[in-house]
Amino acid sequence: MEEINEPVDQTVYLGFYMAGEEYAIPIPRVKEVVECGHITRLPTMPPCMRGLMNLRGIVVPVVDLAVKFSLAETALTRWACIVLVEVDLEGEPTMMGIIVDAVSQVIEIADREIEPPPAFGTRIRVDYLLGMGKLDNRFVLILDVDRVLSIDELLTVCSLQTEEASLSTPAMPAY
Amino acid sequence: MDYKDVLQTFLAETAEHLGEMEEVLISLEDHPGDEEAIKTIFRIAHTIKGNSSCMGMDSVAHFAHAFEDALAHLQDRSLLATGRSVALLLPAVDGLRQIVARAAAGDDRALPEEEALLARIMEIEDDSTEPTAPAAFQKLDSALARADHRGSLRVDTGKLDRMLNLASEMIIARGRLRQVLGACGLENREEVAQPVEAIDRLFLEFQDSILKIRMVPLSPIFRQYTRTVRDLAEATGKLARLVVEGGEAEVDTSVAEHLRDPLTHIIRNAIDHGIETPAARIQKGKAPCGRISVRANQQGDQIIIRISDDGAGLNRDRIIEQARLRGIIADPSVLTDQAIHRLILQPGFSTAERVTEISGRGVGMDVVCRNIEAIRGSVEISTHSGEGTTITIRLPLTLAIIDGFVVGVGDETYVIPVDSVTGCLELVRSAEPGGLINLRGEAVPYVRLRKLFRISGDPPERESLIIVRHEAGQAGFAVDDLYGEGQVVIKPLGKLFKQLVGVSGSTVLDNGRVALVLDIPALVQESALHYRSI
Repeated sequence: MEEINEPVDQTVYLGFYMAGEEYAIPIPRVKEVVECGHITRLPTMPPCMRGLMNLRGIVVPVVDLAVKFSLAETALTRWACIVLVEVDLEGEPTMMGIIVDAVSQVIEIADREIEPPPAFGTRIRVDYLLGMGKLDNRFVLILDVDRVLSIDELLTVCSLQTEEASLSTPAMPAY
Repeated sequence: MDYKDVLQTFLAETAEHLGEMEEVLISLEDHPGDEEAIKTIFRIAHTIKGNSSCMGMDSVAHFAHAFEDALAHLQDRSLLATGRSVALLLPAVDGLRQIVARAAAGDDRALPEEEALLARIMEIEDDSTEPTAPAAFQKLDSALARADHRGSLRVDTGKLDRMLNLASEMIIARGRLRQVLGACGLENREEVAQPVEAIDRLFLEFQDSILKIRMVPLSPIFRQYTRTVRDLAEATGKLARLVVEGGEAEVDTSVAEHLRDPLTHIIRNAIDHGIETPAARIQKGKAPCGRISVRANQQGDQIIIRISDDGAGLNRDRIIEQARLRGIIADPSVLTDQAIHRLILQPGFSTAERVTEISGRGVGMDVVCRNIEAIRGSVEISTHSGEGTTITIRLPLTLAIIDGFVVGVGDETYVIPVDSVTGCLELVRSAEPGGLINLRGEAVPYVRLRKLFRISGDPPERESLIIVRHEAGQAGFAVDDLYGEGQVVIKPLGKLFKQLVGVSGSTVLDNGRVALVLDIPALVQESALHYRSI
């Protein structure tokens, strides 16, 4: 534990795990974290759109970012949570849920400890990240929620998934 | 509430007041000496004066005050009662509207021409020989006192939506409580059952009253067109009056919003294409002034709005000729009247000989049709050559609640609007995959919802077939289970889902889960596409 004598600009983040990696979102962006209840499937939407959940009467879309990042689908274990954030979808403030494997902790990271994301080497696309927070001897990836949760990003399916989807389900319904 | 909100409210209210004043002034033209009408005009001028001085808009308050004086002046000389001065008073309403707009933008001054307007009204010479004014003034004070205590409130519909959400969540929570009590064996104990029942009743009444708050009368919307009709007619060298009947019928505020554009198109069309010039009307033995009536009735859970004009009616021959020119139809002899009238609802279709400022470009009726169908309504046209045209719009009373048929496919639950369901039957799986079923001699195509929505797993041995009605006949959707019928509160899906085909919204079920509400016309279309591609 190092002694901090002078005030340091720092931001508080919510840390969580997705596909074995630790990610973080600035706490002011997080509206709420709720237990993972029933998620209603949405037909014909890209696989990263897990479905819709009921948040006290409000219908909220739930996104599986692991699928978006071409990683394995998030399993609904007892630690799985939904992190709720509000984003602006083409001028419409919209509540969205991000399904995560587990919430880790609240992390304080000094702004000077945040490095720009590396050119390559991360498992997800660099432009989905705001930066990398250095914490003791590990790194947390700070997500750019506005970027990842935009209509364009959510509705484009990456090529890998399209292939997978077309293998597992017939493209045309059979009668 | 900050000043901006207050200003918005003031502007909305003032616009409504001015619209009402216009309508009453125009009605005075037809019914001179209508005391109620005169009182209404005074009351409105007074209200605007009061509200605007609260807003610190001195120019508006001053103008409204002078307007009141001018009205009183006319009243004294019995000019207002004769209705002859309407032509002078209408521009003063316009003047008031402009001053309000300017004051709202921060320019709190009246222009000299607006001052002159009022002066002109004051100077009208009384050349009528009518006796003295009716005693409208005497009861005015008490009417004004009443007017200031109407006790109404403007609420953001977003807040009402939130209340509705919470009310339905309370009903779900109630369901869970019942389950828990049942599990503990307490459900039937009288001391428990009674309060639970009391809460149930209160919840339902609460939900009902929230829905009622959302209902708005149609008359203020209809009334807005009184002036439009008068001015448009004047601009086209015609005479026309709008008659509003049954405007007290109420619809959900979201339905009312969707009604404005279609009404504008229909009324413009009626004046431009329907109503003839005064000379032509006299020749045909009609009154020189055309009549456009708007009537609203409630019928069950639908509202029926009829817009009729007593104009020339649609020219059947010209519609057919146009349709043939465009290659829409080959053999007109097989078309029924209704089918021919539906032609004018097609995009780009116009029978107008000339394109005018107002209409005739062929855009309009198709937009009307699309807007109305988008909110589960329908449009019908009936016309008699030489006698006029009636356009009938049918709309659901509310978009917030529908009667839904709840069905299950695998783990998923869907809601089908009951108004599109014509029947259900059991589908025993036959050897052939077959997409057609014989329904009382009619070959009805069907598709498995499981396949359409790509839900994994195999259908059960016995499936249910929901038969739905659509534009071109009937179709069937095979589902695993039927869960029954019930009222569901529709929650629209946001922009993210605008490309989601076959789904019109979502709802929260009694078990707290979200279910999708199916858009049957779109789903039938989607199925047809799949069929073609096989």
